[in-house]
Amino acid sequence: MASSRRTLVLFLVLSFAHLLLMSVQVQARSGLPLIQAAAFRLFAAVQQSTSAVADAGQSFWSNYLALRGVAAENDALHKRVLELEGHMQAQAALLNQTHELERLLKLKESLVAPTLAARVIAGDAAPGALTVTIDRGSADGIETNMAVIGHAGVVGRVINSPTPHAAQVQLLISHNAGAGAITEQSGAVGPVRGGAGDPPLEMDYVDLLKDVKVGERVLTSGLDGIFPRGFLIGTVERAVKGSGVYSDLAVRPATNFSDIHVVLVILARPAKVEGGS
Amino acid sequence: MKLVRVILTVAVALTLQMTLARYAVAGRWVFDLVVVGVIYAALYWGPAAGMWTGTLGGLTQDALSGDVVGLGGFAKTVVGYGAGVLGAQFIVARPFARSGAVAVATLVHRMIVVGLLAVVDRDWPGFSWTAMLMETGLNTVAGLLAFQLTEMLPGALEQSRDRRRSSLSRRRW
Repeated sequence: MASSRRTLVLFLVLSFAHLLLMSVQVQARSGLPLIQAAAFRLFAAVQQSTSAVADAGQSFWSNYLALRGVAAENDALHKRVLELEGHMQAQAALLNQTHELERLLKLKESLVAPTLAARVIAGDAAPGALTVTIDRGSADGIETNMAVIGHAGVVGRVINSPTPHAAQVQLLISHNAGAGAITEQSGAVGPVRGGAGDPPLEMDYVDLLKDVKVGERVLTSGLDGIFPRGFLIGTVERAVKGSGVYSDLAVRPATNFSDIHVVLVILARPAKVEGGS
Repeated sequence: MKLVRVILTVAVALTLQMTLARYAVAGRWVFDLVVVGVIYAALYWGPAAGMWTGTLGGLTQDALSGDVVGLGGFAKTVVGYGAGVLGAQFIVARPFARSGAVAVATLVHRMIVVGLLAVVDRDWPGFSWTAMLMETGLNTVAGLLAFQLTEMLPGALEQSRDRRRSSLSRRRW
């Protein structure tokens, strides 16, 4: 009886402590960076080893047990490589032409930012947080706010302080993530932000006078100081009536966020954003 | 000893959660194995263990996900304590009944989290019944697996020990 009363008192004390902790953060509008950094550092180390075990299991399955149809897939991939090599040569030729024109017009030469490949080692600690942990950190030159892309398009950005060998990436579809965007053909600009809808991206404050077509590609505008200009975000799926002279666009992301194993971190230092974090 | 069990439960649940969530990032498969761990601790070791598992697991989860620290901690402490108290009042001994407790706890936990998010007025994450049902279903299956394994493990160990003993005695004879 005494033990259950003691547990009840402890429960009330703990509950009160939690509520107090929450109210402190809500008033200050910030988290508890020290606790968050310590928890992330601890679990990043654990996840490095567990992801190695998980990868070994997955590799055993895919390399030894699930080899049906590999020959056909190999043929298809050979053809795709040939096609992509052709595209790459065309792109290289275009890049040379651009540099030539930039030189002729005495413009500042556009630079291709260096990238670093990183493996995803962990998913969300809590459902709905929409972050992943990668196996590269400050020791590899990764800093907060660096842009992260995948083979199909934009993935997200580095958040919080990276540890020496791990960093946390906030996915673009997260409800408090966003990026400056521009539509490819109509040139409409506006911020793209994540949400809970389907499709999970929304482009806000798009000028009603711009003739945006369904299926048009949405690219990064470079105006946010995080994502360099020209990376693919997704395609316009439908226009939604916005407020006043603006319309909102529902954007289907190019990246399949359920299947991201390797990403590229753009190692360019992000521009300082006034008051931003 | 109970503290070690609590820490171990939280560590295993969180590690599994983060490892499996890696393959289901975009939210189509929603699950919270820490809730399963909390109910496991509450039903096997009582309300105090459930409460501490909830506090420790919830706070660590909050810190890792970058959300308001204490939000998940509070919700998990409440369901841990509640499941422990109710588990002691009513006999919840069978794995199926226990996984039913996981289902109820998952729903209550999600309701508390959504309610608290509305109160603190942080960016509304978008409440979805589908995600909630998915979470409840997957957590229940995970709970059933955990309880079934715990029930089967001592029996299987005993059987293998018996087999070894009988084969040794035959050899001696």
